[in-house]
Amino acid sequence: MSVAALHKVEMTPKEYKSDVAPVWCPGCGHYGILNGIYRALSELGVDPLNLMVFSGIGCSSRTPYFIDSYKMHTLHGRAGAVATGAQLASPEKAVLIVGGDGDGFSIGGGHMPHMARKNVNMTYILYDNGIYGLTKGQYSPTSRPEMTAYTTPYGGPEEPLNPLLYMLTYKATYVAQGFAGKPRDCAALIKGAIEHKGFSYVNIFSQCPTFNKIDTVKYYRDLVGPISEDHDVTDRGAAMELARREPNKKVPVGLFYKEDKPTLDERVAEFVTRVGGKPDYDLNKVLDLSRP
Amino acid sequence: MEKKDLIIRVAGEGGEGIISSGDFIASACARAGLEVYTFKTFPAEIKGGYAMYQVRASADKVWNQGDTFDVFCAFNGEAYELNKHLLTPGTAIVYDYPGGDFEPEIPEGVAGYPIPMSATAKELGSYRAKNMVALGALSVLFNIVEETLIRVLTDKFAKKGEKVLSINLAAFEKGKELAAALEKKDEWALAEAQDPKDVIIIAGNDAVGLGAILGELDFFSAYPITPATEVAKYVSIHIPKIGGTLVQAEDEIASISQVLGASYAGAKSMTATSGPGLALMSEMLGMAAMSETPLMLVDVQRGGPSTGLPTKHEQSDLFLAIHGVHGDAPRVVLSVEHVQDCVEMTIEALNLAEEYQTPVILLSDGSLAFSTQTIPTPKPGSYKIVDRKLWDGQGTYKRYQLTDDLISPMANPGTPGAMHISTGLEHGEDGAPKYAPENHELMHRKRFDKIKPIVDRYPPAELDGVEGEADIGIITWGSTIGVVREGVARLVEQGYKVKAMYPKLMWPMPVDQYEAFNSTCKQILVPEVNFQGQLSHFLRAETSLKPIPYTICGGLPFTPAMIVDKVKEMV
Repeated sequence: MSVAALHKVEMTPKEYKSDVAPVWCPGCGHYGILNGIYRALSELGVDPLNLMVFSGIGCSSRTPYFIDSYKMHTLHGRAGAVATGAQLASPEKAVLIVGGDGDGFSIGGGHMPHMARKNVNMTYILYDNGIYGLTKGQYSPTSRPEMTAYTTPYGGPEEPLNPLLYMLTYKATYVAQGFAGKPRDCAALIKGAIEHKGFSYVNIFSQCPTFNKIDTVKYYRDLVGPISEDHDVTDRGAAMELARREPNKKVPVGLFYKEDKPTLDERVAEFVTRVGGKPDYDLNKVLDLSRP
Repeated sequence: MEKKDLIIRVAGEGGEGIISSGDFIASACARAGLEVYTFKTFPAEIKGGYAMYQVRASADKVWNQGDTFDVFCAFNGEAYELNKHLLTPGTAIVYDYPGGDFEPEIPEGVAGYPIPMSATAKELGSYRAKNMVALGALSVLFNIVEETLIRVLTDKFAKKGEKVLSINLAAFEKGKELAAALEKKDEWALAEAQDPKDVIIIAGNDAVGLGAILGELDFFSAYPITPATEVAKYVSIHIPKIGGTLVQAEDEIASISQVLGASYAGAKSMTATSGPGLALMSEMLGMAAMSETPLMLVDVQRGGPSTGLPTKHEQSDLFLAIHGVHGDAPRVVLSVEHVQDCVEMTIEALNLAEEYQTPVILLSDGSLAFSTQTIPTPKPGSYKIVDRKLWDGQGTYKRYQLTDDLISPMANPGTPGAMHISTGLEHGEDGAPKYAPENHELMHRKRFDKIKPIVDRYPPAELDGVEGEADIGIITWGSTIGVVREGVARLVEQGYKVKAMYPKLMWPMPVDQYEAFNSTCKQILVPEVNFQGQLSHFLRAETSLKPIPYTICGGLPFTPAMIVDKVKEMV
């Protein structure tokens, strides 16, 4: 995220709350993630005026309404693409994308690799609850096959995808995973993502007590475990190995990978420098190229 | 009517230098102070296939590609076969013989000029110089100012090194010699050189890009699609010069999304696509209408539906441009007639998007995309540039405030005191979701009524032909206008009571203007290049007119003669 937007204000986490209160179900993991976002924004002193929050469609995509900032509630699957345009047009601002697993990896799946490989300077927080909640509980790209749901009464016929391997493969420059049941850890990972210059991706397991009856809080608590301290976060191969899901293996939470490299807006700015671009550029020189 | 122009068609296998030959002739004519209008067809394949380039040049303004050629230059047998039915008495053919792959039969009354193009080029050691042999011959036979042609060739080939230049110039000289040895059997000659004019020669797609640069565009997101990609190419070269950004997105859904996001962040933003891309963008265009985000899109139409005829001419996206959206969503739709429009109306479209905070679609088409035309050199800084209305900081900020003109001031991110959400959900004045029935109706009215004044503010559609009562009134749009202009001029000269109306604001429709025009015409004829008669449809739906559609959709534009014949048949 843009360094220019950081450490501008002193605000408590509470002061980042908007007047609109979340209407998620009781026990929903999303509350924990939202609190993590408030805390991270506060700790980094992000100026709300220069923060743009984008979402698509879904329960988690309601998040922008609850944050006091500039924000856009876009179409299903398009938050990242819309945010990319906003970031490039306004690279000094902080850009946050929030959304769910269906929004990000199913309908919006075509955009995910490109935000990552282009290293667009923004942060994507994906609330991974393995279900479509807003449409009342259909299996999602991260649902486990054994889950019976609205349109999968006999269980899911598909393999779930692995968000972390996906993001590591397409060269996101900050990849982390958390669990909503540990909001302080989430806050730390989100903070690191926002501080990171480049495309940062945080996958956060979030229980949906209403529709996902198998990925319960207890399931996640038993499933996740911390990344060992000797993991080298600059080693993409090691990160990918960590991200592999195997039966009876703990699913690691923490920072998997971090890399510093030029962002898309920095590269585009180089073109402007290279051609001597300026607002009062003499356009007669452009016209002369079309003389017969 | 005295014929003042010359139309030369060069055709052969793609990759044989057909396009560059045409470009050389066009540039030489423009340098000689003539008005130029070119027309090209080429296959969807990268290599091979039939390619055709037609140059129409005149001392007077040229509005279209013409009826047919005066002079045909055939590079191979396929080109000859495809064009031989057009070899009518009075025309001329220059052809590759002996040594080519065909031996044409020259019809009675047609001037034939055999030039061994392939053989001569091979002798000179470069088969690729075949087109230069042809050019040399054409310059002698039809008075294409040799001096300017050689300057154009030298400028072009000098970049490729001394050897390439000398071979090509030698081929050109050889072509001249071969032609000089032949007896001139026709009257065709290019108009005499005029005083040099302050012009540029540019293709439609490049001209859209130029308009974007002159219109102070900040952000362009592109996805490759025939026949629109040259717009992005032009913008990609020049937008960094004014500090702007062009990115290539992963698909059209992403490109329109990026444009929306950039506009929300405060940037003047656009994209360019063709019909299939526009179809993919329709959901986000609805979001732009709902969130009242300025956004400009150019649709360079091609033959559809589906993959259709990707490189061919058609005007079949009017339905999609105006109504291609779910729910009720307002749009502004403009269409361009010629290359000069491509520059000026791109600026206008950007202005309208900013002023009315709504999606604006500019319709171009496949033949205009690649047609190079001479136009007066645009004057940077002379164009009116409109930016969005911004909040003045007074009182409480409401993003969708119901103002007198229904245009709510925007607040770009970073503005103190104006943080708000922009949403695709129906909302109240403050932007918060609001589903109350009366609110949805109120906000629909706001979004639709705010663009209504455009009908009166936009310059009235141009009228042409006879004053007063007419037997036939022609209404047409897009590049077909240029064809109708010439048809009407011929008909009026022959004493027919014909008039025409050339709308460029397609939506919202200037209903009063259509009614006024209709009241002076006995019959209304609407020529357009699509199957269903799309403008006719809108005229029937929105006005009291009873248009008679005249539709073609063979991948080619109308000709002036077709318009003349149709009117004569109707009267």
